Amino acid sequence: MGVSLLRTIPDQLQCTVTSMDGLNELTNTDTKNSHDAKLRIFDCDVHPVPKEGLTSLTAYLPTAWKERFDRKQAIHNGLNVPIRFRHPNGSVVRQDARTPDGGPAASSPEFLARDLLDRHGIEGALLNCFDAGGLLSAQTSTEESIVLAAAYNDYFIEEWLGGDRRLKYAPAVPTQDPVSSATEVRRIGKHSQVAAVFIPLVNVLMGHRYYWPIYEACEELGLPVYVHVTGIESIFSGTPTLAMGTADSYIERYAAVPQVGMASVASLILSGTLEKFPKLKFIFAEYGFLWVASLLYRLDRTWRGLRHEVPWVRKPPSEYVHERFLFTTQPCDEPDDPSELQTLISMLGHDVLCFSTDYPHWDNDMPDSTLRMLEPSARKAVFFDNAARAFRL
Amino acid sequence: MARERQRFKIGCSDALPVGQMKLVELNGREVGVIRLHSGELRAVMNRCPHKGAPICKGIVGGAWDSCGPGDITLDKSREVLVCPWHGFEFDLSTGKEVFWKRPASLRMYPIEDIEGEIFVMM
Repeated sequence: MGVSLLRTIPDQLQCTVTSMDGLNELTNTDTKNSHDAKLRIFDCDVHPVPKEGLTSLTAYLPTAWKERFDRKQAIHNGLNVPIRFRHPNGSVVRQDARTPDGGPAASSPEFLARDLLDRHGIEGALLNCFDAGGLLSAQTSTEESIVLAAAYNDYFIEEWLGGDRRLKYAPAVPTQDPVSSATEVRRIGKHSQVAAVFIPLVNVLMGHRYYWPIYEACEELGLPVYVHVTGIESIFSGTPTLAMGTADSYIERYAAVPQVGMASVASLILSGTLEKFPKLKFIFAEYGFLWVASLLYRLDRTWRGLRHEVPWVRKPPSEYVHERFLFTTQPCDEPDDPSELQTLISMLGHDVLCFSTDYPHWDNDMPDSTLRMLEPSARKAVFFDNAARAFRL
Repeated sequence: MARERQRFKIGCSDALPVGQMKLVELNGREVGVIRLHSGELRAVMNRCPHKGAPICKGIVGGAWDSCGPGDITLDKSREVLVCPWHGFEFDLSTGKEVFWKRPASLRMYPIEDIEGEIFVMM
């Protein structure tokens, strides 16, 4: 007997499967948060895309800039951004998440709401445009990056936020110019569904004064800073570099990218930036989280001995992290024995974690299969409460 | 039953200038003695509570502070002993580690100046 596995993919992509082991487990993904129905869930990392790529942005560009991009055929050529690490299966985007009319995954707010939120019992989600992040930090023209950031943000605010209050948004800023980034934060940061500011990192450590104008604007508006892997680390001049050179493959870069998170956390603390902006909070998305415990042990121990080099760091580094940082859970590293993961999380503290799916990307973690070994109180904190505090839900 | 303390004569008070650690061996143990800016004396076992380093051979400096990134001040009125191994800092007025949330403590011995002679009790 043939069984349709996933009702949401377009007809041409649907497949049928005859009797197979594990089928019940597969179909159970359709249940809403089945094993603990009362758990509230907020997804801290979801990636929408413009429906027709950069072409969708033209309506949001000033006329002269649109003409400029048209003449240089930038829109059609993806602004000539050279190839970045390619997923060995062709795309990081899940084929099963394409819209019913065959559009790109996560290009329709209505379908995303059905396929992600309704299907998995997720109460709300923070949208951040992964493509915008990569483009804005690597775009060769700073002036163009400023214009494109505004176009991206206006597009998502107009086309995505109006219809569904469950969707929150982290607008991307043109990090190549921190002053313009701060202007962009102040321009749109008061929108009721803007819940954070996405800073696509450039190759400057996050504690550096370079970022201070952006931090000042974020703190002024009560918005946390949101940073996310951009996928172009170590590829372009000016983007964050990985230690000892450019990785040779997608998988190598994937494994090494937590370095950026480690260096950023250390920099934010030791530079005194957290003292300079005492109310500012930071969310690190998709950099992993198990390394945080190791980093904090090292930071605390070293601060204990060399504190006088950075006397503006007024308390043990780990205290800043527990007060001001969150790390998204996806991609969740998974020891064979779940109790080992529980032990590692207990070493770190679940107060610094917030659940994320990374929808619609291939390495997603859905609620029913993520961190199930945690105690109910810890699950409550990780899946909702921690995010609720950071994003003022 | 508590062991009775012995009193050891270190030397003349005049031979111990402010802020300079002097190492002596008493009853088989190395002890650092120092006169603070306040005039008070301290006798410290020459062993860091962290990893057992000869802490009395470390820097005796002041306390660094800051109002924010880029700003530094140095309060020399506070004598801070810095372990030569891992740099852990101890306030010599109290013997307690500076700034740490669960501060370790130096092993300190009673010390007194009696008519120009310095004595350590241990």
